[in-house]
Amino acid sequence: MAGIIDVPKPRINCSMLLQHINQAVCFVCRVSKVHPSGKTFTAVDGEGKTVTVELNCCLEEELSGVVEVIGLVSNKGVLMAATYNLLREDRGTPFDLELYNEALKVIHDFPQHYPFEAAVSG
Amino acid sequence: MSITLTQGAIEALYKGLPIKNPLLQLLNIRQMTSNSGLPRFRLMMSDGQHALSSFLLTTQLNHLPEQKLLVQHCICMLKKVVTSTLADGRTAVTVMDMEVVQSAEETGGRIGNPTPYNRDGQMSSPAKKSSATLEPDSSSATAPGPSYRSTSFSRSNAAQSSPTNSPMKVSPMKDTNSPMKFSPAKDTNSPMKFSPAKDTNSPMKSSPAKDTNSPMKASSSSPMKVFPISTLNPYQSKWTIRARVTNKSNVRQWSNSRGEGKLFSFEVVDESGEIKITAFNNEVDKFFSLLEQGKVYYISKATLKVANKQYSTLKNDYEMTLHAHSSIVPCEDNQSIPTMNCNFVQIEELENRDKDAIIDVIGICKKAEDVSRITTKNSREVSKRALHLIDSSGKEVTATLWGEEAEKFDGSGQPVVAIKGARLSDFGGRSLSALFSSTIMVNPDIPEAFRLRAWYDREGYAVNSQSLTERRSTNSGSRMNWKTLSDVKNENMGHEDKAEYFSCLATVVYMRKENCLYQACPSADCNKKVIIQHNGLYRCEKCNREFSDFKYRFLLSANLADFGDNQWVTCFQETAEVLLGHSAQTLGQLRETDEAAFDEVFQKANFRTHIFKNRVKLETYNDESRVKVTVMEVLPVDHREYSRRLLSNIRRLAC
Repeated sequence: MAGIIDVPKPRINCSMLLQHINQAVCFVCRVSKVHPSGKTFTAVDGEGKTVTVELNCCLEEELSGVVEVIGLVSNKGVLMAATYNLLREDRGTPFDLELYNEALKVIHDFPQHYPFEAAVSG
Repeated sequence: MSITLTQGAIEALYKGLPIKNPLLQLLNIRQMTSNSGLPRFRLMMSDGQHALSSFLLTTQLNHLPEQKLLVQHCICMLKKVVTSTLADGRTAVTVMDMEVVQSAEETGGRIGNPTPYNRDGQMSSPAKKSSATLEPDSSSATAPGPSYRSTSFSRSNAAQSSPTNSPMKVSPMKDTNSPMKFSPAKDTNSPMKFSPAKDTNSPMKSSPAKDTNSPMKASSSSPMKVFPISTLNPYQSKWTIRARVTNKSNVRQWSNSRGEGKLFSFEVVDESGEIKITAFNNEVDKFFSLLEQGKVYYISKATLKVANKQYSTLKNDYEMTLHAHSSIVPCEDNQSIPTMNCNFVQIEELENRDKDAIIDVIGICKKAEDVSRITTKNSREVSKRALHLIDSSGKEVTATLWGEEAEKFDGSGQPVVAIKGARLSDFGGRSLSALFSSTIMVNPDIPEAFRLRAWYDREGYAVNSQSLTERRSTNSGSRMNWKTLSDVKNENMGHEDKAEYFSCLATVVYMRKENCLYQACPSADCNKKVIIQHNGLYRCEKCNREFSDFKYRFLLSANLADFGDNQWVTCFQETAEVLLGHSAQTLGQLRETDEAAFDEVFQKANFRTHIFKNRVKLETYNDESRVKVTVMEVLPVDHREYSRRLLSNIRRLAC
């Protein structure tokens, strides 16, 4: 996972997990339930579908709200997080996950205009 | 071919829930004779599961049983029914329109094994019944004056009041003794006359209470009927209406050459219509605290007069004034009275309506502006608040609330807002204004509200809506002629005789610090540049005066850029103050005292992104023509709305 920071990470939602198995992705979702062990949590994407996120270390903070997870998609469609970033909602406009999902679909519907993955295929 | 009965229809009809053309089987039909001699038919209908005997056939349909079309075991489609709850808590379903869809011979007998239905879905027992009929006793005992209840009770026949009569099983004896009085004159009237309100006089109203109220008999010399509001006119005197208060004003004081006093008015509705009622002085004291918005009352003995349409927006030619003998009695059974009689107009449709029309509108409050205070022509200060309403037509309109309604309105969470009786104005295209008589409901409990909410949450929020209200100087996001800066050039905007307007999202990339301020005439409405005189005074050519002082004003030249192009624009006082975040006066002083701080103001304001509303016009100086863009308004970027617009534009362009 060392190189995950350097490779392009397509933004995806739950419905695209299976097309990205063993790839690094960027996943923005809303935390729904943290497992008591602190090593895994479930979250919903902008379409209301649930994803399971596994962490490589135990959580040290309370996790809630919208997070941006960078990680690999496992064979089972579980997101193995390398790192995550909590999007703070306590000031300014709250993050509109549904709207984000619409933008995400545009990126995938018109890849010719959003050539972010050129490096991966090349 | 067999017909399937509409299962569950009995329950729905009993509860007054909307059900479209249910198919029911007639199990029994009974003729009741009324004192007027006109027969009335009572039906027992079944949906295969339940049977209910509380169906009454409107007399207009008497030809059906009389011609033997409506006979036992035939299957009928009920096209129009009215469910009403009687004063003693029982329910009657009046059939206003029906059709026999299959004859008794074809059906060949009873379908299913229906059980009698009652409110709890259980078999009714005499014990239960008697306890139920006791309820109105207590309330009627407390009712003051010659109330509707007491008089109607006294009209009743002792034979009816047998407590063993359950709503399910009506003895023939009771039917033949029914005190129904249908005068021939009444029967020739409109079907509205046979509204459920009238059924409260039917034999089903029997209750032991009648006898206990016998002292009231003295007042019963005139029989009292519950009239639908729509049938009231000034030529009647003995009537009672049962109606819900939909809108109640505050008490107002008046004073004119003929004296002074106080008044309040309220509006009531039943299923036939609505009417406005006004109370003065003593009646204000008597009734103001009794009446509550949303509750149902029996109202009788008020003066009817032709409505003054200038003050009333209701769909009724008459209005009422209460007098010393008027009676208003709360009514407990109110399910059958509609909560609000609204005739909602789609926002899209407003364009086709006449100015000053009074309409009912419902929409999502997409945005509520802050309260502002304005001074009216007669120098009264009043609060106002503009709401941006959108409905499923995808159009938006601005509705203005006034006074207390404006102050207490809470637009958080984008609620559904229904306004009954708003005035349509052509101010800024099309806009709405709530009147003193309007009723404003936030998230009303009506089907339209739920439909709208569902629509908005599903798709409506993303609609790139067009407002019917064009706005010049308020901070709203409605009706924008969105352009990119390259559009402005490519489309040769402003080259026509008339100035054009556009809005754009752009970033300030440069502002000319030098000459951004000028010294202007200090008199209130004159912004003319002053000339410094040799004597140290400042001269205004326009006012033709000399002043010892001047005021600073902005004339800021800025360069705006978006992804495709850039554009020089001019910002005057208000817009420049928004861009720079400082008033002209403070910035002028800063320039004189602290140049570093002055520079920093510009540094900070640079590379900021805003929404600009601009005016563009070709102007000619010294034979040289140049497109001049003036910023009319600077607005903050609503990133969500901007993103939605981009997304919908992308989808539209991709089609």
